[in-house]
Amino acid sequence: MKDMTKDIMAGAASKRRDGSGDALGPNSEIGRKLKQYYDELVSDDVPDRFSQLLSQLEQAEPALKKD
Amino acid sequence: MAAVSQGFKTDLLGAIPSLRAFAVSLTQNADKADDLVQETLVKAWDKHESFQPGTNLKAWLFTILRNEFYSQMRKRGREVQDSDGIMTARLAVHPAQHGQLDLKDFRGALEQLPEDQREAIILIGASGFSYEEAAEICGCAVGTIKSRVSRARTRLQEILKISGEDEYGPDAISTQVTGSPAS
Repeated sequence: MKDMTKDIMAGAASKRRDGSGDALGPNSEIGRKLKQYYDELVSDDVPDRFSQLLSQLEQAEPALKKD
Repeated sequence: MAAVSQGFKTDLLGAIPSLRAFAVSLTQNADKADDLVQETLVKAWDKHESFQPGTNLKAWLFTILRNEFYSQMRKRGREVQDSDGIMTARLAVHPAQHGQLDLKDFRGALEQLPEDQREAIILIGASGFSYEEAAEICGCAVGTIKSRVSRARTRLQEILKISGEDEYGPDAISTQVTGSPAS
């Protein structure tokens, strides 16, 4: 079980980082903090202004293609 | 001009959390970041015809956002980076204890990087782009991205007083995540 988890994680890391090896991988303190920092930003709630903006842009379109 | 498809709009909405994260990483300021994302969405909408379906929308949007960021910086005479740089230089960063870095310290260290290094290490180490994609987004050579990431990492280690990654290597931390090295 442990082996499987390890393989999956290693696979995901190498695929995502495209050969950067362990430089920023899970064995690196900086790599892990970087992910933590960024994931926190990504999980931040998106303000309504953005969906409103896209709706406005959409309404300004003459004919919206429905697909 | 062809109409924007519903699918494109849905994909734009889906990309907003990543765009905001990248924008904050670049600007180091939540309000400026959201203005930047707004500009990016409007630009993406206007030039949606230049996006080739099937290619990486996130990379395309990141490219627009990044171009917008640097063009704004040029207009403002780099006041963003300068004022932030002075503030963060005063931040005292304490050596990590027990191998655990405080996220606040890390954020402070990240702010002190030149933005070309910061964006490179974010794109590669956090946003999940390959070196090739990051090079395309930044409009430079793959080797340039590699050297920026490397310099960023070294600089972060210096600021955070991590002498080498060995002491935080498999024995210290990653065993909690990946299982013991022997397994």
